Amino acid sequence: MKKTKVLWLSAIACNGNTHSFLNYPFMEQFLEDFEFIYHPVIDSKYSLEDIVSKEITCDILLIEGAISKEFKRADVSVVKIIEKYSKIVQKIVTVGTCATFGGIFRESGYENTSGLHFDQDKQLKEFQYLRDKTISVSGCPVHPEVLVNTLYAIKKSITLKLDNFLRPKEFYAYTVHNGCTRNEYFEYKVDNHRFGELEGCMFYDHGCQAPFTHGSCNKILWNEVNSKTRAGLSCMGCTEPTFPKRNLFSTKKNMAIPENLPVGVGKRVYLTLAGITKAFKIDRLEKKLIDD
Amino acid sequence: MIKLIEKIEGEAKLNFNFKEGKIDFVDIEFMSTRNIENILKGKNAFDALVINPRVCGICGHAHLIATVQALESCYENLELSNKAKSIRELTLNFELIQNHFKWFYLTLFPLFGKKQEILKATYPSQLMAKAIAVFGGQYPHTSYAIVGGVVCEITHMDIIKLQHYISQTSKFVEDNLVKTDSKTFLTCKDADALLDYEGDLPDILREIKKMNLLGHGKSYDRFISFGQNSYFKKGKSLKTKVSHNISLEHVKESDIASSFAKNVSFKDEYYEVGPLARAMINKNQLIADAHKKYGDSIFSRILARVCEISKLLEHSKKLIDNLDLNEPSYIEPSMDISKLNSIGYSAVEAARGTLIHKVEIEEGIIKNYEIITPTQWNLSGGTKEKQGVSQKAMVGLDDVKTAELVFKSFDVCSVCTTH
Repeated sequence: MKKTKVLWLSAIACNGNTHSFLNYPFMEQFLEDFEFIYHPVIDSKYSLEDIVSKEITCDILLIEGAISKEFKRADVSVVKIIEKYSKIVQKIVTVGTCATFGGIFRESGYENTSGLHFDQDKQLKEFQYLRDKTISVSGCPVHPEVLVNTLYAIKKSITLKLDNFLRPKEFYAYTVHNGCTRNEYFEYKVDNHRFGELEGCMFYDHGCQAPFTHGSCNKILWNEVNSKTRAGLSCMGCTEPTFPKRNLFSTKKNMAIPENLPVGVGKRVYLTLAGITKAFKIDRLEKKLIDD
Repeated sequence: MIKLIEKIEGEAKLNFNFKEGKIDFVDIEFMSTRNIENILKGKNAFDALVINPRVCGICGHAHLIATVQALESCYENLELSNKAKSIRELTLNFELIQNHFKWFYLTLFPLFGKKQEILKATYPSQLMAKAIAVFGGQYPHTSYAIVGGVVCEITHMDIIKLQHYISQTSKFVEDNLVKTDSKTFLTCKDADALLDYEGDLPDILREIKKMNLLGHGKSYDRFISFGQNSYFKKGKSLKTKVSHNISLEHVKESDIASSFAKNVSFKDEYYEVGPLARAMINKNQLIADAHKKYGDSIFSRILARVCEISKLLEHSKKLIDNLDLNEPSYIEPSMDISKLNSIGYSAVEAARGTLIHKVEIEEGIIKNYEIITPTQWNLSGGTKEKQGVSQKAMVGLDDVKTAELVFKSFDVCSVCTTH
């Protein structure tokens, strides 16, 4: 089968998606099925100077990093490069949260810095004509499997169902909370979490955003072994348009109720449920998990 | 002649000036910045633990460790368990190792006319990323090191998993990089003896010899390293004279008109940082022998970087053996950060050399943040009269291709340089 040609374009980025991609476990197969006409690390037939000065045949345009017309690569504005290649490719993939929503580097000080179609959750007029071509795989960084399998879906001409931010539902219909090993502490509202322990849920005090963040982190795991919340670190909401929020290690509360509740859960129902769960006194969850 | 150097985590422009057929001066220009230091201003201090790993996709973990240490130095009497210290050191070691593999197989190989060995780069670096993820949940971009320790608790089963990742990586080194058992490589004291071994490292070293590049890429023969831990020593080395009495207050950052990168000097002199510097200050016998024979050339620089893989794997094994799982991973600071007005510093050894963070906090909010990255040290763009380390290393070379090799022997990271 013919290799699918991919242009990996970095805008205002840290290259975190590039290196996350290098953690994809079946790289050998991937490189047999895809060819980068340019990649920030992997050797390519063309140089960046070729990419910006010529028009190289290409099937998929990958954009990493926040976008501003002021930001240049090889002396050419990234917006100009995107305009040129978006015309000839079948699909555009915004890789990571910066390219999708602006992310961390939305604040980097360049003029009108944003994602390709979104400035946080605000839909942009620029590039609106490309919306039908675009798939977003947000995350800071993107999970390698989310990126690579999306590319395979494009290669196989599979029509993916997308959410309002153009993210494949197969990955982003879940919340990061799904599959977390600390779930029981959440469900039964055992709210005495301390860092450095296997036990406890970071939602109540330590800013965990997993119940209202879309992603498959705890379903497909990171590096095939773990996830931040399993390890004991709060989900920072890095797949969402609001990333990065402020005061990330503490839970914002109004009258002792977390300001952000699990997706689709109203405040009244939450309070009712919290009242019921408080009635549980589950010994196993009150003491050390692996006890003497 | 101006050449765009690509695939260095971004690009840099090198402007080569020739005189009588030889490189006389090279102007280094980095074309963009992301203003991380400004992004941090006004944010809650702990948020820096989330933002700073995003300085760099390949060495973000070093930025996390530098951040947590800088924040911790703002406190008085902050308690930290040995377990937490060792775990942080381990994950940083793993990041250094994955960097070295990527640099060797992805950056260096093509410079010797070889095909990039993508799978040889990704296989061991994925193992090291898994090892970080056991503690930190994921790699890249975890924020698992927090003020007071680390967020994770570690079990015996985690340790067993880690030991497997490490031994599998060591095996990769023995099967590919230097085809001998690790012990022989680790105790080798003769740089020339390495030329007789099989493996990807000896191949490159022989290539350097064959291409008559043995003495190329020499600079000031002046090294510095500030990041101190259970393996690396703090100090500077002038030729072979090592002293450990150095202070961060003599490190100075200065703007340059032509580039987004800032220069870094120690007592107004440029110093090389990185694996070669660390090996010289640690008095690593193999590297000392290479240095004695070939000076601070690309031969010594490349050897030092690859040799560090094995050294750090070995040291990591010891750190794991000495972990006391009964110690706490995290000790809550007695003072709330929102009450803190203070200034903190840190220096850690990242893959490419000394990384320095400085933070100023007012009532828990970041008032000012300064970052000095390793590549800034090595790639400071000096004047013709007072050249930076990599600039000087390129002077006298005949052609741009060799100059690119010398330049990239410093393992340039563009995103870090212009954070």
